[in-house]
Order: sequence, then C-alpha cells, then structure tokens
Amino acid sequence: MSKPMRDFIRGELDWQPWLAPLDLDAATEEQRAALKITPSNRAVGAYSLVLAHDPEALEQRSPLYNAIMFGAKGLPRAERELGVVVTSRINGCAYCASVHAKRFTELTKAPDVMQRIQADGVHAALEPRQKAILDYASKLTRDPAAIGPADAAPLRAQGLSDLEILDLTHAVAMFAWANRLMQTLGEATTPAREGNPL
Amino acid sequence: MSDGNPDVMDTLAGLADGSALAALRRQRPDVVKHCQGSDDAIFAPAHHGGLTRPEREAAAMRVANLLRDTALEEHYHRRMVALGEMHPLNGARGECILAHVDCVTMSPADATKADIDALLAASLTPHAVVSLSQLVAYVNFQSRVLAGLRMLKGNT
Repeated sequence: MSKPMRDFIRGELDWQPWLAPLDLDAATEEQRAALKITPSNRAVGAYSLVLAHDPEALEQRSPLYNAIMFGAKGLPRAERELGVVVTSRINGCAYCASVHAKRFTELTKAPDVMQRIQADGVHAALEPRQKAILDYASKLTRDPAAIGPADAAPLRAQGLSDLEILDLTHAVAMFAWANRLMQTLGEATTPAREGNPL
Repeated sequence: MSDGNPDVMDTLAGLADGSALAALRRQRPDVVKHCQGSDDAIFAPAHHGGLTRPEREAAAMRVANLLRDTALEEHYHRRMVALGEMHPLNGARGECILAHVDCVTMSPADATKADIDALLAASLTPHAVVSLSQLVAYVNFQSRVLAGLRMLKGNT
C-alpha cells in the first residue's frame, strides 16, 4: 500500500482512461466481436473500449473473468468477492475495491465486514473462515513466491475443499490482473455529484 | 491455438496428465480453456499490433524475475532464446518498456498518465500499449495461480 487509499465503501467511483478509447465507428469486426462479452462493471464502456485496442487478449479475458467470478458451485460467490476486495485493498485499487465491497455486502447483508477491511486492511478482525481467506489472499497478493504447502492448512482447517481453494486462488489471481489494468491504463475518479461523500 | 493436455499451466506447475490436481483444474473447464486462450492471445497473437514476439517474451521474463518465480522466468527465457533474440528490450524503447513492466508489477498504484504518454512517445501504438499492459497483468495472474497449484501439489 504505497499511498493512502480513498474510502471505497461510501459513494461510487468512475473510471477515466489515460489512453484514447477505441472509436466504435472505426472498430474492426474482430474488435466488435471481442466487445460482445464484457465483465459486468459500471465502467464497462471506457474500460472495454480501451482494452479493445487488443481484441485477441480481450476476447479471452472476458470469459475467463466470468468463469472465475461466477462459475457454479465451489467457493461461495461472497467469499470470492472477499478475496478480491482484500487483493484490491492491498494493491490500492479503489475502483475494484468499491465495486466488489458492494457486491460482497449485497450477497451477505453484513456491512461490518467491509467496514473492518476498509478501516484495518489485512489486520481486520473477522470470523475464522473469513480470516483464513483474508490471510491467504493477502500473502498471495503480496508475495506469491512466499506461498508454500503449509499455507493450505489454515484454509483446510476452516473447511475449504481443494476446489474452493482453487477458486479462491483464481479469484485473487484474476484481480492481480484486473487491478493492474484498472490502475495503469486510467484512474478512479469521484463523480461530481451533490452529496457524494468522497 | 493450443488446447492440448497438459496445457501451459499444467506444465509449469508440474502436473502430470491424469493427476488429481490436473483433474481438479478441469472441474473449471472454462477457466482452463481461457487461461490457455489468454496465453496464446498474449504471446502468439495473429496480429502483434506493434509489440513483437521477442519483446513479449522478454517483458514476461522480467515480470517473473521481479516475482522471484524461477520456474516461470526460465520458461520465458527458453521461449525467448528459441526466437533467436537474447536482448530484444534495448535502447530507449526497451528501457521505457522495462520501466513500465516494473511499475505495473511492483507499484501499480503509483502509475500515472505520464507513464502511458512515455510509451506512446517511445513509438508504441495504442494496440501495443494495451498488449503490454495485458501481458504484464497476465504474468502476475499466472504466477499467483501457479503458487496456489504448487501449494496444493505439496499438500495433497
């Protein structure tokens, strides 16, 4: 966390690109095809239009994202969201953290969890299963080379199956990817709306 | 496009065909399919858009080095050597690309619009800038998936 992160719970953020988005009128067939499948996301317009400069990568990444975040069974969706909020919090990606904190709270109706992560980051006091997820997501985000066989034990002790651990790994890894695109091809901005607390 | 079995991720994680972990991965067939699809699209695209194949392998090797993922670094080194180019990232353009690789990998929160402008000024096209960003982000993804698979492999 190289610089303080803005509040990611209250208010909503927009995203402004630093590279001119693709002009849809000038898009090739391949670019149009790649834009069809898009991860659900409030900034989908500008973000996808920037990524469409490389349609081959976009065409694979969108269905990969959906398979990782929405694939049936395995790790409950809320716990995938928990993993990606921890990753986004550590990487300092306020945009991703705000979108996925909101999803987590919608799924769990437990707003205190995201409030604790906002306030205390990786030191947030959570119930044991969530804490095991936070600790693994944190270590995998910060230093994947430090992960060893022993790091599976706390997850297994909380009842996570191998498929659930794989799902969590995929979700954290997907946001090692997503955060970096969001943070280096543009920036989160605060919409100029009356009453926005940010 | 390769959809072979084992795929790149299996090979890098040392998962034998038919092993329990290779089978676990295949409980997520769309993840397996589009991981390999992303690898193909990022390293062997039909249109490179201005970022050459050797530049791609060298940039990926740098990411793996920064993450201290020795097996992954060797993988990209082998692919770069196979292309017959030892130092594709040189001169002002190469230095600019390497600086961006370092920033996106190690301190993405510190990136600014000036970093993108510098790449464009170093003659990268918008396509090449997005390809480079996808590549660096993908190798960061790949190294973390591998770390999880190696963890499960050592503990199953």
